[in-house]
Amino acid sequence: MSGLQTEGRVDTGRILTVESLSTTFATERGPVRAVDDVSLTLDRGQSLGIVGESGSGKTVLSRSIMGLLPSTARREGSIRFGDQELLGPGAPDMSRLWGREMSMVFQNPMVSLNPVMRIGEQIAEPLRIHLGMSRRDARSTAIRLLRDVRIPEPERRINQYPHELSGGMRQRVMISIALACGPSLLFADEPTTALDVTVQAQILDLIAEQRAERNMSVILVTHDLGVVAGHTDVIAVMYGGRLVETAPTATLFADMRMPYTEALLASIPRLDQPSHTRLTTIPGRPPELIDPPPGCPFAPRCAYARDRCREERPPLSPTQDPTHSYACWFPVGSPEYLETREQLAAGLTIGGRP
Amino acid sequence: MTDTIEKRLGTLFWVAVGWLAVISLLAIFAPLLPIKDPDAYYLVKGVRPPYSPSGTHWFGTDQDARDMFARTIYGARVSLVIGFVAIAFGMLVGGTAGIIAGYLRGRTDKLISFIFIVFLSFPSLVLAILITALLDRGLVTIALTLGVLAVAPVGRLARASTLSFAEREFVTAARAIGAGDRRIIIRELLPNVVVPMGALALLGMAVAIVAEGGLAFLGLSVEKGPTWGKLILFGAGSRELEKSPWIAFGPIIILFITVLALNYAGDRIRSYFDVKEIGL
Amino acid sequence: MNYWVQRLTASVMLLLAVSMLTFGAMNLLGDPLFNILGPAAADTKPESLEKVAAAKELYHLDRPLPERYVRWLGDMVTGDFGVQFGSTGQPPVSNLIAERFPRSLTLIVMAQLLASMIAIPWALITAARANRPADRVSTINSFLLIAMPNFALAVILKYIFGIKLGWFPLTFKATDPWLTRIYQTFLPALTIALPAAAVYQRLLRTDLITTLQEDFILMARSKGVSRRRVLLRHALRPSLFSFITVFGINTGALIGGSLIVESIFRIPGLGSAIVEAILREDFPIVLAIVMIITTAFVLVNVVVDIVYTLIDPRVKR
Repeated sequence: MSGLQTEGRVDTGRILTVESLSTTFATERGPVRAVDDVSLTLDRGQSLGIVGESGSGKTVLSRSIMGLLPSTARREGSIRFGDQELLGPGAPDMSRLWGREMSMVFQNPMVSLNPVMRIGEQIAEPLRIHLGMSRRDARSTAIRLLRDVRIPEPERRINQYPHELSGGMRQRVMISIALACGPSLLFADEPTTALDVTVQAQILDLIAEQRAERNMSVILVTHDLGVVAGHTDVIAVMYGGRLVETAPTATLFADMRMPYTEALLASIPRLDQPSHTRLTTIPGRPPELIDPPPGCPFAPRCAYARDRCREERPPLSPTQDPTHSYACWFPVGSPEYLETREQLAAGLTIGGRP
Repeated sequence: MTDTIEKRLGTLFWVAVGWLAVISLLAIFAPLLPIKDPDAYYLVKGVRPPYSPSGTHWFGTDQDARDMFARTIYGARVSLVIGFVAIAFGMLVGGTAGIIAGYLRGRTDKLISFIFIVFLSFPSLVLAILITALLDRGLVTIALTLGVLAVAPVGRLARASTLSFAEREFVTAARAIGAGDRRIIIRELLPNVVVPMGALALLGMAVAIVAEGGLAFLGLSVEKGPTWGKLILFGAGSRELEKSPWIAFGPIIILFITVLALNYAGDRIRSYFDVKEIGL
Repeated sequence: MNYWVQRLTASVMLLLAVSMLTFGAMNLLGDPLFNILGPAAADTKPESLEKVAAAKELYHLDRPLPERYVRWLGDMVTGDFGVQFGSTGQPPVSNLIAERFPRSLTLIVMAQLLASMIAIPWALITAARANRPADRVSTINSFLLIAMPNFALAVILKYIFGIKLGWFPLTFKATDPWLTRIYQTFLPALTIALPAAAVYQRLLRTDLITTLQEDFILMARSKGVSRRRVLLRHALRPSLFSFITVFGINTGALIGGSLIVESIFRIPGLGSAIVEAILREDFPIVLAIVMIITTAFVLVNVVVDIVYTLIDPRVKR
């Protein structure tokens, strides 16, 4: 589609390798570790879903990988995009990669699009900056892009302002801007949260379609397991800034190990439940990131937590399947887990008390 | 308690207040101070004035060999009085009108607001010139003229302040207990409105002092005695600036620091109480 | 539509009130007869008395105040500003105005232009480096500039640029060519522009900093747009609204507010005209110029409102 040789371009194989990435913010109350020792990999054309509640660090993670952080943030670790190391000395000027090899679709299109700039101009901008297109070429490319994302009457829309479009259309415009220069990696940060349910599926399908056409990698960040279920190859679950479980999608749903993942799944409302079924929520709130207590970050809210969980932090370790790792002392299916399960069912807590 | 207030207002604030206190005291007690006579001619035989700053004449002398330092201090007397009277008048009349308008609303409010707007739309300097040129140029006239001009801006702020406070719970609570209008205004609203007005008073004084200076430059300030504006005017001619800039610059510096202190203090009070508001 | 009708009515009432105030002040506080005829007004010699009677009739001075006011108002609305009292031959006031107005206008236009040229880059730089040393120094400078009285600033600038550096002339001739006059207007324009620029810059900087926190700025960066381009192309436009409003209102205020600067630098504009006229108690001039100034002020405010609705695409027409 865009047969251009550009620096950093990766056509096949491993596109992203993240090793022990940590992001710390300097705040008035002390340093906040929003991302703690996260490692992951991504191949060209693959789709990764990063799932977690708000406050889990998932948005910070995606922005850390891309490098879109304020100056109060410090990153440690390694991020390799293609064969380029993005952290440390020798790191490239990210403005050359942004919009061109990697781009981001943001959550709320109403505030993410410039309200006083016409749609056409906003799409044309990366085309003119990165690809050096003339005004005329950029304009016709923009029209084509709008057509690709299924916006009717693109010639008219080009001259409109964001507030003249509906929410779903604005998000499509955002996607078209992100795709303009044919990036190899697309970040989608809660792309559907601000939209109607009916529109959500359309947007996700659109992203999937573009991904297939362009052989593009996608990192989809969301709090909704339902969103990633049908649209990702691999899922990474985050909690308290850490990766707590990662597996290929099918494996995760079939054989989840971390109780948190199980709780997340249980909290999704289901169509086949009778109406007025009480929704299962996870009690408690996301952890304080300023002075994290030792042990597993989920322990305070975990129904299956034991003393060891509160004292020692469980490492991310693989199962028999090397693509599936989790961090839990007493994962789903382990004897301790089953024991607690019975006690809960009988109305007792750990330790045999009611 | 004083300690925390100090920290929030800042040391610079107290420096400004200190300056204002010093200059006011100097002005009030000028006749008692061991400074030279502002009207006397300190001619030195054989040397033509003006004399540049030296140990005897800290600010030098003007073209008639009058001591500039003394004249500046005496100038402070007039300028500060004008500023003070003007803003006091403005706050008394304007503040009252504003609070009444803000509290009573309705037709009273519309009428008072209209009067404010008329005065605000009128080029204020023109009005000041008009009145001073047509009446006399005594101290009282000028001070009151500037006071009249201060009524509208002060009143507008008082009204806005009252409007925002009148909606608050403590006023409704007072009314629920059966407190009458007058009581509410005095006990509940006034203490709260006084604060932003206090800040405005300082800022307003600065404006009034500067306005007097402006009038002086048009030849319309008080007839007798030195004021800061007049002093600067006498030193601002091309020849004076070239040969003896201290004549103008001595008063300019004192004037500037005073106005700066007033502005800064007023600003700090305003932001301090704004912050407290948000904390509520 | 309703809103504009209300605005119009309010503006007209305002102008009427101002005119009444001025007319009243001049007639009650001064003595028109004295100004027209000079000392002869108090004379009791028969020829003088004749002149007095003639003047009274010509200027309707024997009629009650309200009637004189209405007459004047009628004349003014049809463009007849009357004649200058104090001048010999009593030429029409409109001559004077036509002569003086362009000079004032030049001054104001130049001042506002200079102010914007200073304020906008200043704001951009300080917003980009918010809270860092350069910004803090700039804030102090702003504050100092705003606190400085305009006549003091005029004297300082005159000293620095006129005398020490000698860049600008200190005396002007009325017959100077047009270009020289622009040059002469520079220093007075700067006197007005510097404090105005400080105010504009403060406003613009605050709005820029707010805008830079918005999501669409981050989005623009994520497209690979350089910091500089983001500042100029994305952040500036949405941040201009407060600045434009104040700019507009200030233009209106400057029309009446450049008096002192005009007097100090001896620019023959409307400001100095009105000062001279007041000192001479030349009513028609004073009345006419006051009305012009106030009308301009009110008009400019209305125009600012209209422009506001036009440039912000989010505001409904």
